[in-house]
Amino acid sequence: MKQKPSVSQILIVGFFILYMIIPIVATYVFSVAVRWDRTILPEGYSLEGYTTAAKNPYFFSTLRNSLVLSLSTVLVSLIIVVPTVYWVHVRLQTAKPLLDLLMILPFGIPGVVLALALVQVYNFHPLNRSAMLLIAAEVVFTMPFMYRSVSNSINAVDIPTLTEAAQSLGAGIRNVLLEVIVPNIFPGILSGSLLVFATVFAEFTLARLIVGAGFKTFPMLLVEFTRIDGTVAAALSVISFTVAWIASLLILWAGGKGVRSTQEVVKAK
Amino acid sequence: MANTAKTRKRWAAWLGLIPFLVFCLAFEIVPILLLVRDSLLLKHGGLTLSHYGDALAPLYLKSFINSIKLSGLTAIVGTTLGVFIGYAIYRWPTKRVQDFMVTLSDVTTNFAGAPLAFAFIIILGSNGVVTQFLLQYFHWKIYPDFSVYSFSGLTLAYVYFQLPLMVLLIIPAFAGLKKEWRESAFNLGADTFRYWWNIGIPVLTPSLIAGFTLLFANAFGAYATAYTLTGSRLSLVTLQIGFTIAGEVLHDPGIGQAMAILSLMIMGTSILIYQLATNRARRWTRR
Amino acid sequence: MAYLDLTNICKTFNNVVAVKDFSLNIEKGQLVSFLGPSGCGKTTTLRMIAGFELPDSGTILLDGEDISLVPPNKRGIGMVFQAYALFPNMTIRENVMFGLRMARKPKPYIEKKVDEVLDLVRLSNTSKRYPHQLSGGQQQRIALARALAIEPRVLLLDEPLSALDAEVRVALRGEIRRIQTTLGITTVYVTHDQEEALSISDRVVVMNSGLIEQIGTAQEIYRNPDTRFVATFIGTANEFHSVVTNENTMQCDNMTLTTDRVKSFSQGSRVVALVRPENVEVFDVKPSETRLNLFEGVIETLTFHGAITRLGIIASGGKHITADVNLTGRDMLAHHQMVWFSFRPEYCQVMPD
Repeated sequence: MKQKPSVSQILIVGFFILYMIIPIVATYVFSVAVRWDRTILPEGYSLEGYTTAAKNPYFFSTLRNSLVLSLSTVLVSLIIVVPTVYWVHVRLQTAKPLLDLLMILPFGIPGVVLALALVQVYNFHPLNRSAMLLIAAEVVFTMPFMYRSVSNSINAVDIPTLTEAAQSLGAGIRNVLLEVIVPNIFPGILSGSLLVFATVFAEFTLARLIVGAGFKTFPMLLVEFTRIDGTVAAALSVISFTVAWIASLLILWAGGKGVRSTQEVVKAK
Repeated sequence: MANTAKTRKRWAAWLGLIPFLVFCLAFEIVPILLLVRDSLLLKHGGLTLSHYGDALAPLYLKSFINSIKLSGLTAIVGTTLGVFIGYAIYRWPTKRVQDFMVTLSDVTTNFAGAPLAFAFIIILGSNGVVTQFLLQYFHWKIYPDFSVYSFSGLTLAYVYFQLPLMVLLIIPAFAGLKKEWRESAFNLGADTFRYWWNIGIPVLTPSLIAGFTLLFANAFGAYATAYTLTGSRLSLVTLQIGFTIAGEVLHDPGIGQAMAILSLMIMGTSILIYQLATNRARRWTRR
Repeated sequence: MAYLDLTNICKTFNNVVAVKDFSLNIEKGQLVSFLGPSGCGKTTTLRMIAGFELPDSGTILLDGEDISLVPPNKRGIGMVFQAYALFPNMTIRENVMFGLRMARKPKPYIEKKVDEVLDLVRLSNTSKRYPHQLSGGQQQRIALARALAIEPRVLLLDEPLSALDAEVRVALRGEIRRIQTTLGITTVYVTHDQEEALSISDRVVVMNSGLIEQIGTAQEIYRNPDTRFVATFIGTANEFHSVVTNENTMQCDNMTLTTDRVKSFSQGSRVVALVRPENVEVFDVKPSETRLNLFEGVIETLTFHGAITRLGIIASGGKHITADVNLTGRDMLAHHQMVWFSFRPEYCQVMPD
C-alpha cells in the first residue's frame, strides 16, 4: 500500500521546513556574503567574516572558555547525576519520586531566576561571580537532560536480573559493573553527555548573568558582535551551529546503537 | 539481628543519595528559598509584601503583561500549528521523511538564543533578505508596521523554537491513538468527524494541554533570544530581572527578587500542569 | 546425607512471611520442582539457594558444606531466569564464555567448553549473533547453555518457560529434561504451571503461602493429595462438602456418599470428599447392576476437548458436577439430557472440611 502524501500535507510540511531552514541557510550565506542588504542574492562572497572573527583577541579565549565550561559541566554531571540515577534505580526505588521531582524542578525555574538566586547567596570569595559557580548552575540547568538519557537506558535493560545473572556466573561487583552494567547504559550516558555539552556550549543567560565579562564565553562574544559586525556575528553563529550539529549527529548515532540491542530484553519483561 | 542489618542497609542506601542531595540543596533549593525570604524582608528587617506591590506597579506590571502576552501567543500559535504539522508528519507515507522531520525538529528546537535572534535579524531586519524579497516581488513593505526588534519580531523568533518542540510532543500522542479505536468507532457507525470529536480529541486533550503549558513556560523563561533581539526596547520580565543582576538599571533589589518569585510561580504552575497532563496522557496511551 | 539439604528455612519481607520452616532434601541428579501459585514462596526459596536472598533462619547444605551465607558468585550454582537475562551487549558466544572467564579458566578449555554446551542446546550456529537477534526460545536455550558452561553443582530454573509461546514451552521443557538427565545435574525448577511440573520432575514440592503442602512424585501428588489445596490446585476436583453419618457413609445435601475412607473421621464431623472428573462415570440409562454412589442429573454443558468431553452436570439436588468422558464408541450425549453418574468409593479423597 504505497500512498502518496496529500497536497495539504505537502504544503504544511513544506511550510514547516521553510520556516526551520531559512534562518539557518540565511546565516550560513550571510557569513560568507560581501554585502547583502540591497539585493536578493549577496553581491559577492568571501571568508572575511571568519578571518576577522579569528583575529579578534577574544575569539580563541572565548572558544576555550566555552569548551572548558561545557566539559566541566559534563564531568560534574557524570560524577553527581549518573551514579545517583543508577543508585536510585537499582538500590533505592523508594527515592524515585523524590528524584523525579528534583529533576523536573530545573524546568520550572527560569534561568534568570536561578542566576539571581545563586548570585545573591554566593556573594563571597571565591565563589562570587566565579566560573565555579557558573559550572554548578549549568549542572543544575542541564540535569534533566542527563537524567532522561541515563534513566531511559537504565530502564531499557533489566539491571537487577542482569546483575544476578552475572553473579550466578561467578562475577564480583567489579566485573558486574565493568562488563555488564556500564556497557549497557553507556549509550545513554554518552548521549546525555553530548546533550549537556551542546546545551552549555550555546548557553548565554547563566553565563552572562552569573559571571559576565570576567569569564567571557562564545555566545557572549556572538551577542557582542551582533551589535558591531553582522558578518562576523554570522560566522560565529555558523561555528556555534556546527558544534550543535556534530553533537546532534553523535547523539543520534549513540542513541540508535543502544536501543537496538536492548529491545528484546524489554519485550521479554 | 537480621532485621537491624536490613534497616542498616536501607539507611546505607540513602547515604548514597547524599552527594546529589547536598548539591541540589546548595545550588538550587536553598538559594531559591533564600530568594523567597529576601523578597519578603524589608531592608532593615521585618516582613513585608511591599516588594510585591512595587513589582506590580505600572512600570513593571507592563513587563509581566508583555511576557505573558508573548508566551501565551507563541504557545497558542506553536500548539495549533504544531498539531497540524505533527499530524501531517505522522500520516506521511514514507518512514524516511518522518525520521528526517523528527530529526529536524530535534535539532531546531534547541536552536535558540543569540544565533536564532541574529538569524532573524538577517532575514527580517529592515534590510533583511525576506524583507527585500517581499518588497521586490510583492511590493509589500513590511516596515515600519513590522519590526524584528519588537514584539512582532520576537513572536516570529519564539515560534521558531516552539513549533518543533510541539511537533516532538504531539507525534507520540498521535501514535498513541490506537488504530483499533478508529476501527471500532467506524464499526459502531461513527464517521471521521464523530471519531475525532468523541475519541480522537478527548484522548489528545491531555497532550495538548501539556504541550501548551510547556511551550508557555519555555517562552516565559527565555532570555537570550529576547536580549539579543530587543535589548531594552521591549520590557519583559526576564530582561528586567537580568538588569537587576547585571546592575545595569538601578532599582531596589527587592523588586527584582519579587519579580523573580512571581515569575517562578508562573513557570512553576505551568510546569506543574504540564506534569499532571503528561501523566494523564501517558496513562491513556500506554500500550 | 542428601546432596542439597534445606533445613527449617524461614524468610520474612517487611513482616510478611514469604517462606516458613522449609525443609527439603534433594538427592544428587534429581530434578525437583517447586510448584505453587504466585506469592507462595517458591521463587524466594530458589533465590535463597542461589544466594540472592539470605534466610532469616535455617541452613542450606550443599554437598555437606554450609552455603547459607556464601555470596552468590562463590556458590557455583547456575541459574536460568524467566526473562532470559542474556547480556545484550555481548554476542551469544561471549555470553556463554562469561562465567568461564570469571572463573579464569584457560583459554583452550573455554573455547572447547563453549562449543560443547552450544552443541548441547543445538545452537552452535548462533554463536556470533547478539541476543536480540534470537527468538525467545533460542535465547532461553542460550541462557541454559550459559548456566551449564560453568559446570554448576546445582542448576536453578526460575519459571524458565513462562515468557514463551505454548508450543515452544512444551518442546523446550522436553529439551531441559533431556539435558538434565544426560548430564545428571541436580536441578531445582520453579513453576506455577502444574502440567510442566508434573511432566518433567522426579519430585514435586507443592507450596502455598510460604508452606510446603506436599512433597512427592507427580503420580503421588495427583492421585493422593495430602491437602485440599493440593487436590484443587493440581487438576480439577469435584468437592462434596459433607457430614459423616456412619463409618462408611456421609451426607452431602440430599446425596449419600459411600466410601470407607471416612472411617478415620468421627460421626458428625464435617469433611470434604474430592472426586476427579475422569473418575466420574456417566450413563444414558440407569445401569442394571447395583452401583454405589449412583445419582441422577441433567447435562448442562458439553465441552469437546478432543480425547475427552467435559460434561457439566446438575445433580437432582442442584449440585454441579464435572465429569470427563470418552465419547468414542458410545451414543452421543446432548444438552438437557437426563443421565446417571457414579464414582467408585476408592476414588473419593476425604479430608477435613
